Amino acid sequence: MIHSQFNNIKIAGIATAVPVGREKIADKYGHVFGDEKVTKFSKTTGVIERHIAKKEQCSSDFAYIAAEKLLFEKGINRSEIGICIFVTQTPDYRIPATACVLHKRLGLSKDCICFDINLGCSGYVFGLETVSSLMQSSNVKYGLLLVGDTMTKMIAPNDASSVMLFGDSGSATLLEKADSAPAIKTAYRTDGEGFKAIIVPADAYRNMDAPEERTVWGDGNERSDYDLYMNGVEVFGFTVTEVPALINEFVEENQINKEEIDCYAFHQANCFILKQLVKKAKLDNDKMHISMDRYGNTSVTSIPLTLCDKYGDCSDGENKKIFSCGFGIGLSWGIAEFEVNANDIYPIIETDDYYKDGEVSRD
Amino acid sequence: MNDEKKLAMLEELMELDEGTLKPETELADIDEYNSMAKLSLIVMMSDEFGKKLTNDQIKSFKTVHDIMDYMA
Repeated sequence: MIHSQFNNIKIAGIATAVPVGREKIADKYGHVFGDEKVTKFSKTTGVIERHIAKKEQCSSDFAYIAAEKLLFEKGINRSEIGICIFVTQTPDYRIPATACVLHKRLGLSKDCICFDINLGCSGYVFGLETVSSLMQSSNVKYGLLLVGDTMTKMIAPNDASSVMLFGDSGSATLLEKADSAPAIKTAYRTDGEGFKAIIVPADAYRNMDAPEERTVWGDGNERSDYDLYMNGVEVFGFTVTEVPALINEFVEENQINKEEIDCYAFHQANCFILKQLVKKAKLDNDKMHISMDRYGNTSVTSIPLTLCDKYGDCSDGENKKIFSCGFGIGLSWGIAEFEVNANDIYPIIETDDYYKDGEVSRD
Repeated sequence: MNDEKKLAMLEELMELDEGTLKPETELADIDEYNSMAKLSLIVMMSDEFGKKLTNDQIKSFKTVHDIMDYMA
């Protein structure tokens, strides 16, 4: 188990944005897959509705709106932000890193470290580790952890395994160097043996001759190599064994008192998986907050979105002890336990905005 | 555990009527043996039998009997 502890980094704010467009899966897919199948899907996964990005909206647009909200609310001087990391699987362009696009849009200083991290469901906790580590070893005062995904854009339209599961969103977390900050404790693992379990096989540089037409795969769903493929059974098997094992090790190593945890903010993979994790890791189900009934599986954003859903309207000024856990693509999984003041967690923003200056002149 | 008990557990898992499954039943012929049933099977093997079930093992199951053998 890779584990870290940060004692001088404070989580100073969390904001999240989603598209205005909302879709009840029963309305959209009842006639496609049959009402009974859709009802069963909702019952198992927990998804009833989710927000879907417009064609023009990128994951970075949601992260940008969330970041602007944070910088405004917290009154931060942009020249003091020395790190801007964007975690995404759905960048604006193949190159350059979308963090550079966000650096421009947010008007950040040249004295800033910017790059993208390509991770999904586990990405928030990996991003937290990256930004915290960079801050700890540098003279940076503020760091921005931006995350976002528009997974609904990479799924074949009739793929019943995934097309009803995901929702689109983006989020921003502000980290601040502070001497007496509550500890951020983390733990991580990766198993590359499972890299094919969640994959888009083509559209980059490995399988360049992959045919574009969609065919029926072994699981009965129609897709091409340019669409998302998720081996649900393999991912599930991995999750219910590896994730509780890491939680138990982490709890023991750090002498975590579960009674003190205010909220379990877990990656919203599906409710059936979350129930299994509650059971196997012996967690208090009442503290496991669910957001995916209204937002779907929001990939890298699911942890901050879940926190904004739970505490966005809470302003009791209290520090909340959060136990977050992300797991999925890679395969990779990680835990971050931290404290954040409820007043620093903002309500979820709905937006139709997108970047209007993203085209490239051919002159 | 006897075969009747194992069959009953598998019938409950797939939400089938009692007596529907026979050891020789081909899994490919059971509509209810879908991806959700496979997830439930992973949980059942772990909880009831303390066994880890991988995707490859699930793929190797052809008949109800193959699963019953694994339950052992």
